[in-house]
Amino acid sequence: MQRKFLIGTMVILLAFSIGLVGFFLVSDGKPDGLETILEGQGVKETAPVWTAPLNYGSDYASALSMGIIGFSLVLLVSFSYLRIVAKKKQQGTK
Amino acid sequence: MHISDGLMAPVIWIAGMAIALVFVALAFYKVDRNIEDRTVPYMAILAAGIFLAQMLNFPIIGGTTGHLVGAALAVFLLGPWGAIAIIFTILVIQCLVFGDGGITALGLNALNMAIIGSLTAWGVMSLFPKKHKLPGIALAAWASVFLGATACAIELAISHTIDPSYGIDGLIALPSMMGLHSIIGIGEAIITTSVIAFLAKVAPETIRLGSEEKSKGEYDAT
Repeated sequence: MQRKFLIGTMVILLAFSIGLVGFFLVSDGKPDGLETILEGQGVKETAPVWTAPLNYGSDYASALSMGIIGFSLVLLVSFSYLRIVAKKKQQGTK
Repeated sequence: MHISDGLMAPVIWIAGMAIALVFVALAFYKVDRNIEDRTVPYMAILAAGIFLAQMLNFPIIGGTTGHLVGAALAVFLLGPWGAIAIIFTILVIQCLVFGDGGITALGLNALNMAIIGSLTAWGVMSLFPKKHKLPGIALAAWASVFLGATACAIELAISHTIDPSYGIDGLIALPSMMGLHSIIGIGEAIITTSVIAFLAKVAPETIRLGSEEKSKGEYDAT
């Protein structure tokens, strides 16, 4: 399982690093569906209530780094939570 | 489709937060009750992969872009409750760490993308027999984006009706959100079916694992 887990991680990160090239070639700086409609209606963004410590990056290198940070965070949070719950459940059934 | 702070009327985002909390709590309860050690890495890597996929916007028309939501993909692999739990986790990290989506709008974003997206995908997939699995997945992916966006448009319209300084007029919000997201949904359908077809070829055990969990009702809406 561990080997497959590592291979899966490498494949996803490789696909992301390639997909990110395409993103910067054709999509960078362009609004998504909701943003397009809000811009069209002249709705201005208000200051966020919570100021996040990071953003998605503005060039390939920073976006790749942020992607890896985000990937690792989601992986770590999900894995840790689910592992604790699974272990507790296992102990409960013994 | 991430809603930012200050866009929706307070009563709407508070209601969204309350509704989302109920469904998210139920999803985590179901996952907690049924999780097995062997499925932990599988769920975690799927969540992290969907996070990355959401960063990659693809162009549609007129300089507009869309991105994968991943609800249908997660539903196919984990069932609706597992999907709600992992998409919600992604939304929380996007909001708190990367400032993608407002903290006051977290409930509405969870409602539109994690809950409506997942339950719609699950409902559509359930309508298709096994031999028509791929068309069912494609339609489920498209519908999950389309109905999530429709819900967002309704929230914008109601906010605007309550207080014109919030949201957008429903006559504009509904057709424009539904129109653009009917196209973005095609991208979601293509990506979702491609990933599932790829997994079926290179890692069929992931598909089997998902099917086993669902057939046992572990993450299913039973």
